[in-house]
Amino acid sequence: MVPANPFHHVSRRRWAQALFAVGCVCVAHAAWIPAKAGLAQLLLDRAWERSQIEGVETPPWPWADTHPIAKLQVPRLGIRRMVLAGISGRTLAFGPGHYDGSAQPGAADNIVLAGHRDTHFAFLRELVPGDEILLEASSGIRQRFRVNQTQVLHEREAEVMEPTGRAQLTLITCFPFDALVPGGPLRFVVRAGAVGTHQARIQSPRFSSIGGIFDSR
Amino acid sequence: MGKRNRNRVGPRNAWLRAIGLCALILLIPKPPEAQEIGPAMKPGEAKAGTLLLRTAQGLRSAPTLHTDVQIEVTGMIARTTVEQRFHNPSDDWVEGVYAFPLPERSAVDTLALVVGGRLIVGEIQTREQARATYEKAKKEGRKASLLEQERPNIFTTSVSGIGPGEQVRIGIEYQEDLRYDQGGFSLRFPMVIGPRYIPGAQQLGVVDGAGWAVGTVPVADAEHITAVPVADAERITPPVVAPGSERMNRVRIRIELDAGMPLARVHSPSHAIRVESLEGTRFSVELSEQSVPADSDFVLSWRPAPSDAPVAAIFHEQKDGEHYALLMIMPPDPQQGRHEHLPRETIFVIDTSGSMHGESIEQAKRALVLALARLQPADRFNVIAFASTTRKLFPRAIHAQPTNIDQARSWVDGLEAEGGTEMLSALQVALDPAEEASRIRQVIFITDGAIGDEARLFSEIRKRIGRSRLFTVGIGSAPNSHFMARAAELGRGTSTLIGQLHEVQTKMGELFSKLESPMLHDIELGFEVGPVEVWPARVPDLYLGEPIVIAARLPELSGSWTVGGQRGSEPWQVDLALEGGRQQAGIARLWARRKIASLTGSLYDGADPGTVREAIVALGMRHHLVTRHTSLVAVDVTPTVPPGVSPDTRALPVHLPKGWSYEHVFGELRARERPRPPLPDVLRMTRNTQRLPQGGTPAAFLLWIGLGCLLTSAWFLRTRSTT
Repeated sequence: MVPANPFHHVSRRRWAQALFAVGCVCVAHAAWIPAKAGLAQLLLDRAWERSQIEGVETPPWPWADTHPIAKLQVPRLGIRRMVLAGISGRTLAFGPGHYDGSAQPGAADNIVLAGHRDTHFAFLRELVPGDEILLEASSGIRQRFRVNQTQVLHEREAEVMEPTGRAQLTLITCFPFDALVPGGPLRFVVRAGAVGTHQARIQSPRFSSIGGIFDSR
Repeated sequence: MGKRNRNRVGPRNAWLRAIGLCALILLIPKPPEAQEIGPAMKPGEAKAGTLLLRTAQGLRSAPTLHTDVQIEVTGMIARTTVEQRFHNPSDDWVEGVYAFPLPERSAVDTLALVVGGRLIVGEIQTREQARATYEKAKKEGRKASLLEQERPNIFTTSVSGIGPGEQVRIGIEYQEDLRYDQGGFSLRFPMVIGPRYIPGAQQLGVVDGAGWAVGTVPVADAEHITAVPVADAERITPPVVAPGSERMNRVRIRIELDAGMPLARVHSPSHAIRVESLEGTRFSVELSEQSVPADSDFVLSWRPAPSDAPVAAIFHEQKDGEHYALLMIMPPDPQQGRHEHLPRETIFVIDTSGSMHGESIEQAKRALVLALARLQPADRFNVIAFASTTRKLFPRAIHAQPTNIDQARSWVDGLEAEGGTEMLSALQVALDPAEEASRIRQVIFITDGAIGDEARLFSEIRKRIGRSRLFTVGIGSAPNSHFMARAAELGRGTSTLIGQLHEVQTKMGELFSKLESPMLHDIELGFEVGPVEVWPARVPDLYLGEPIVIAARLPELSGSWTVGGQRGSEPWQVDLALEGGRQQAGIARLWARRKIASLTGSLYDGADPGTVREAIVALGMRHHLVTRHTSLVAVDVTPTVPPGVSPDTRALPVHLPKGWSYEHVFGELRARERPRPPLPDVLRMTRNTQRLPQGGTPAAFLLWIGLGCLLTSAWFLRTRSTT
């Protein structure tokens, strides 16, 4: 029997303890991310309803530095997401974000939303052309879109975020959906065009008139 | 000029005119471009870049348009026939709506619709009546066409019941008197409405136009003076073709020019042209290319040899027992070398909004730098730049010392075009009564006038002008000429249009000579016969090189008329015999058009809108003119649209004026939504740096790492216990 090296023993134990601690933190963090994402959506939903009723912007939680600017729904999948302003990492932790260099929700141009592939925008992989997507802006304008296509792009193919001159919705998330490590160069992009309106059929640089907007039916 | 017109014995009623137009339209051989438009496009044949859009029903496309323009110039009068051919490439029945500009002084009197070789002539009706007639025809499945005026220089044609693959042709005719300035004549055919900045709060809801902007606050009439905005925004903001699209609204222009005097030069600063000299003083002018995209105003200038320059002209027409005359007189030049420099205060205002981006801002900056160099140390000056906000270079006007000029020049150099066009605040700052000085105060306003709230601005100018003078300098390939002219008129100055970078030097030079020479003011007219109704009622002050042009209605064309005024402190007067001249059809309409312009202008002096409206309707109906309150409508008798089909309304996309930057215009529009922080604009970043946002969390990664750690620690502990 090889005499146990005391140093070796201590080291093993420490290692085990340290690894255990790190493992717990990692797992907790991993569990916290979807929990936070889900919880935030609940709070955002409440804040949205309240602000719709009271007509004032309500922060979803007291220290929130963001607020919901639109509600995104996919009736076929039963999906309902509160969209936040901006696409910073902090924002995206709580909900899909609106790229503020693109058209505002409600406007008749390319509206770009981004979200995490494994939380809020995980449903993008389920979307097929023809699916209906509803977007309700905080101003009360509702827009109805239909998925035209889904595509996988390189992150440098940023043209999809450019104005198109007509009401359009572009949803962006990371690809592949079950990649282990975030930050890859590929993106999954869903493009949906406005339906049920005339404006959708003409080139219109900005602001819908007839189009893009439809009465709540 | 007094030459008798051989081939133009004016048809006195709309019928003869219509037959003439019919013959013209039917005789014009179909140009080859018509083939280019091609047969109906099947959805599957869509090429990248064509305007096909995916909808619930599949691919749809907007109608295409080809415009043919025929202009006949006789002396100072131009009569223009515009033929618009709408082609519907889709498989549906559609209604085409096209918003287009015409010269701000055009008197539009004829609309004709050509259906299968038949010609239907438009009738004049009040705006509401005409709209109802058109809607009824549309509902009954008839082809119909409606021509409405949105602004003095913006019109809309609607054509209903264009069948699948069908082409519908409409003809529009108008007459205008031409601008004579600095010894040269110029004719402008505007081709496109630049996207207008629509300030004010957005009014959301369903609107009836098909433009890209919705109205701001509802007002009954856009020519009314209201506290805010642009009720009819959607009617003056047609959709715009995105860059890179293959879609083209093409225009062909042909001009028969009979100047009535030998010409030293005929040229176009805007387009390449072919000029052919015919017999006498006649010329034929065509575009070098067969057709051009409708994205920049066409300008034709001609100049008589100085010895042949006209000093006076009379054009007249007898209608319904009354005589109408267009009278022009050129006041003599003050003696050369008598320009003593009176100390002045000059305020330069430069538009740096997004629509000015590109060549426009370069033209504007160059014009401004030239102007700065021209100042004398005794003058005082200031520079104001505006976009979404207004900035002053100096808190108040200061002396034009070389150091101050240098400072101004480098400030101007650094200006960039970006943001909205909040012109009102710029005007308020420029026409600040607190700055009123004893010296002559001249405000030089350099802009493209791409705004939709003209009425509000006009009323502000009227209110604040005081003793200042406002000179507008219109920049770019498609400036809002109505705004330029009316603003200068209300500001008792004059307007200059600069279309090209190479014109800046000459045009600004001309403007400076006007600014520096004493103007002709307190102009009065006298007639031997009476009563005479003259428009404009008060002749505006005149600057160097500008003629007096008035339209009069008189009981008879005889006796003499007198024009007098003050040039600086010297009186000037001239007597002219009211005889001879050239008989010309349509002078009565030009008179009516001028009266309408004056009536509209009187709104800014507080005239009663109801009375003005009534008077305009009466003039429109009597003279068969399209006005703000009267429209032309043409309806086919036989229904052609299959029962049960209701045509889709499709607005015709227009081009962005040449030299305009798509992204900056959108940036500007966007600036309205969120005025404060400049937004990051995707297009302004290069594609190499712009990336798509990331969309993944490290949750899975962390989970696996965490589980890995836990397993390893368990393994460590287990191996330890076994040892």
